[in-house]
Amino acid sequence: MERVKMAEESLETAAEHERILREIESTDTACIGPTLRSVYDGEEHGRFMEKLETRIRNHDREIEKMCNFHYQGFVDSITELLKVRGEAQKLKNQVTDTNRKLQHEGKELVIAMEELKQCRLQQRNISATVDKLMLCLPVLEMYSKLRDQMKTKRHYPALKTLEHLEHTYLPQVSHYRFCKVMVDNIPKLREEIKDVSMSDLKDFLESIRKHSDKIGETAMKQAQQQRNLDNIVLQQPRLGSKRKSKKDVYTIFDTEVESTSPKSEQDSGILDVEDEEDDEEVPGAQDLVDFSPVYRCLHIYSVLGARETFENYYRKQRRKQARLVLQPPSNMHETLDGYRKYFNQIVGFFVVEDHILHTTQGLVNRAYIDELWEMALSKTIAALRTHSSYCSDPNLVLDLKNLIVLFADTLQVYGFPVNQLFDMLLEIRDQYSETLLKKWAGVFRNILDSDNYSPIPVTSEETYKKVVGQFPFQDTELEKQPFPKKFPFSEFVPKVYNQIKEFIYACLKFSEDLHLSSTEVDDMIRKSTNLLLTRTLSNSLQNVIKRKNIGLTELVQIIINTTHLEKSCKYLEEFITNITNVLPETVHTTKLYGTTTFKDARHAAEEEIYTNLNQKIDQFLQLADYDWMTGELDNKASDYLVDLIAFLRSTFAVFTHLPGKVAQTACMSACKHLATSLMQLLLEAEVRQLTLGALQQFNLDVRECEQFARSGPVPGFQEDTLQLAFIDLRQLLDLFIQWDWSTYLADYGQPNCKYLRVNPVTALTLLEKMKDTSRKNNMFAQFRKNERDKQKLIDTVAKQLRGLISSHHS
Amino acid sequence: MAKKTYDLLFKLLLIGDSGVGKTCVLFRFSDDAFNTTFISTIEIDFKIKTVELQGKKIKLQIWDTAGQERFHTITTSYYRGAMGIMLVYDITNGKSFENISKWLRNIDQHANEDVERMLLRNKCDMDHKRVVPKGKGEQIAREHRIRFFETSAKANINIEKAFLTLPEDILRKTPVKEPNSENVDISSGGGVTGWKSKCC
Repeated sequence: MERVKMAEESLETAAEHERILREIESTDTACIGPTLRSVYDGEEHGRFMEKLETRIRNHDREIEKMCNFHYQGFVDSITELLKVRGEAQKLKNQVTDTNRKLQHEGKELVIAMEELKQCRLQQRNISATVDKLMLCLPVLEMYSKLRDQMKTKRHYPALKTLEHLEHTYLPQVSHYRFCKVMVDNIPKLREEIKDVSMSDLKDFLESIRKHSDKIGETAMKQAQQQRNLDNIVLQQPRLGSKRKSKKDVYTIFDTEVESTSPKSEQDSGILDVEDEEDDEEVPGAQDLVDFSPVYRCLHIYSVLGARETFENYYRKQRRKQARLVLQPPSNMHETLDGYRKYFNQIVGFFVVEDHILHTTQGLVNRAYIDELWEMALSKTIAALRTHSSYCSDPNLVLDLKNLIVLFADTLQVYGFPVNQLFDMLLEIRDQYSETLLKKWAGVFRNILDSDNYSPIPVTSEETYKKVVGQFPFQDTELEKQPFPKKFPFSEFVPKVYNQIKEFIYACLKFSEDLHLSSTEVDDMIRKSTNLLLTRTLSNSLQNVIKRKNIGLTELVQIIINTTHLEKSCKYLEEFITNITNVLPETVHTTKLYGTTTFKDARHAAEEEIYTNLNQKIDQFLQLADYDWMTGELDNKASDYLVDLIAFLRSTFAVFTHLPGKVAQTACMSACKHLATSLMQLLLEAEVRQLTLGALQQFNLDVRECEQFARSGPVPGFQEDTLQLAFIDLRQLLDLFIQWDWSTYLADYGQPNCKYLRVNPVTALTLLEKMKDTSRKNNMFAQFRKNERDKQKLIDTVAKQLRGLISSHHS
Repeated sequence: MAKKTYDLLFKLLLIGDSGVGKTCVLFRFSDDAFNTTFISTIEIDFKIKTVELQGKKIKLQIWDTAGQERFHTITTSYYRGAMGIMLVYDITNGKSFENISKWLRNIDQHANEDVERMLLRNKCDMDHKRVVPKGKGEQIAREHRIRFFETSAKANINIEKAFLTLPEDILRKTPVKEPNSENVDISSGGGVTGWKSKCC
């Protein structure tokens, strides 16, 4: 078995050795190592050596065979080679000689070649340098461009260049020193761009602040032009309406004479200049201001990542400017131009903001603008309230209202809510009404002061119709009378009537463009007219009536005038209805109270007549010069009283045109006042004593009064009505002069008593004065029986009177 | 003894054409007031003002009359009681001057024989519109032996002077009362008729 095993191993080893030998024969030297290692790894390397030696001897034997076979050829070759050796020697000598010659000749060439080598080196260096420079040049060009752009203020392109330089070009050449310098400079340049842009923005803000006025003016003119166009479109229907209204006005007057248009229908001259300018083409707001700085600056800040800073700054500055714009000049209220400039500034501000809202992305937003507008609106309205309250010229208030309407319309076009402005205009309307009332107070005062308080005389049909055309007066009797003739009223009647209509027109004018309904306008006009009538005109009339030194002539004429004005109130109602186009059937919340005003004025004038007459009577009475101790009897009434009666007689004779009731009341009032005054004169405490003679003289005066009363100085009295004013005096005097005490005392309290109107207290007072008289003459009385008897009688009567008084008062 | 507030009562009368300024003259004197608007007087009116002359309180009752023709019947009834009469004309209105003769005749017909008279040339502030030369006014005053003043109610020229001069002239003709007399009735005194004068 071990033999079999050894045989297997030997075969295996032999195969292996064969493989190794083939590898040695075919493999390169470099790979023989691993091959030989495999031999030494085994334990059969001795046997391998034997095989190797064997193979070597085999190969040597084959070589020898081969050499033997080709020996003759070899010898021939050697012979040939010896010949070649000789030829080769010759050749060698020739080559050496050629070489020597060549070396000699090529020496210059070698020098040239060295030079050429040097040049090529330089060229390569130059080429490398050029390549480097080619890489650097764009950077330098870009930087130069950046500098130029900075110098020429083209900052946005400069910023683009800067960005490009920083992120595209510089990284490629970042190892050079000059590039480091550039990199270090970039933040500074960026800041410079930022600062310069901000400076541009500030200039822009200053520019729009300065031009706000002009921008606003332009926008307002555009709105005005638009309105004019709208009016042209509506021209025809409006004219028709106006014509109809005017026709109705004519109907009121029932006259063929054309009345001139009221002055208040025309616009004031201030606005005419504006209308002329409107004919020109006005440039848009965009044409007045260059907005590019704000756009550029916005872009720059966006690129620089500071957009929020920019937005905040812009809004903050604009808020500041808004507050400046909204600050009205202290004397704004003095002229319309003051208001116009104020409005122009505000409009200009918001036109700019609106423009920026629509041309930028988020620099300003709707919320921001609305907030600004809300502030602006409240400040504007507050300013207008303050300043308009200083206006005392209704024309200025009216122009201001028109300007505010234009202001509101202009801003509405740009989308700003303006309802509060129209609400405030209603407040200004009240201000306007007050201003009108003040103006008309002056007008009425002038009319009443300059009136001659005489009936208007007319000498021709022409002048008659002129007056009737001004004032709605119809009197067929007067119309039939021949010329010359007189209207019953004085000139202030048609003048006042026309001024009331002018006032109504002025009120109407303010309501235009306020978007009010006809009913609202109608109510407003009626309220204002009521104030005019019940306050302004009433005060004017009262002031005239209460004026010192006003004569009866004026008072009488005022009574007549106010009667006619009262009747004209219904025509004023129609007038208002016609110009407001509110149907007559409409139930008015407001009625005219003019009739009340004129009634009150008339009553005041009547009262003033009574007062005036009574004052004259008092002045006469102050002239009274009674000698209360006289014993003598004159044959006629006192001088002062005769004059007084004559005065009254002539007064009532002259005023035949005084209304009957007024004349009667005046006459009765005068008589009562006279009677009362005479009674007081008789009973006053300063008159301590009086005689029967004095009473008799006084009685003559009272008879003069009674004569006046009986003479019928004013028609319309019942037979003895006027005389009743003096009945108290009459009975008192009769009692004393006739010494009819027995009758008085016996009948006191009876309905049919002869001395029914004699008060016992009065009788006692007067009796005491007579008793004092008697006592003063007591010494002489002792010597006369009748005097003593009279004294006793007086004492008796006095005693009885006292008893009567006490018994009837307990 | 009832006490009066005055010593003497003098009644004065203003006459002249309508519109010459009678009422304005009176108002200027009594109330120092002036009204530029002409309002025609148609009623009889009067003002009372107390002045002091030569130590006496004299109450002036000054009657204002209507200048229009249609009121003359009423006006003339007041001539009888007047102690002094002022004739007024307007230097800018020739007609009013020409009518002074007529007014003087009215005085002769209706007034007391011894009434004191005075001529007022009113509206002298409007000298630029004068149509009545000064000489003419002075001449007629001289012919009738009456005083004259050039006045202006508007400018308050010579008003006070005129209204004090006339009572002085009247006072000069009033009988002098003896200091010791009491309750003396002088109504029957020589030369003066138609009015009374009493003192306390």
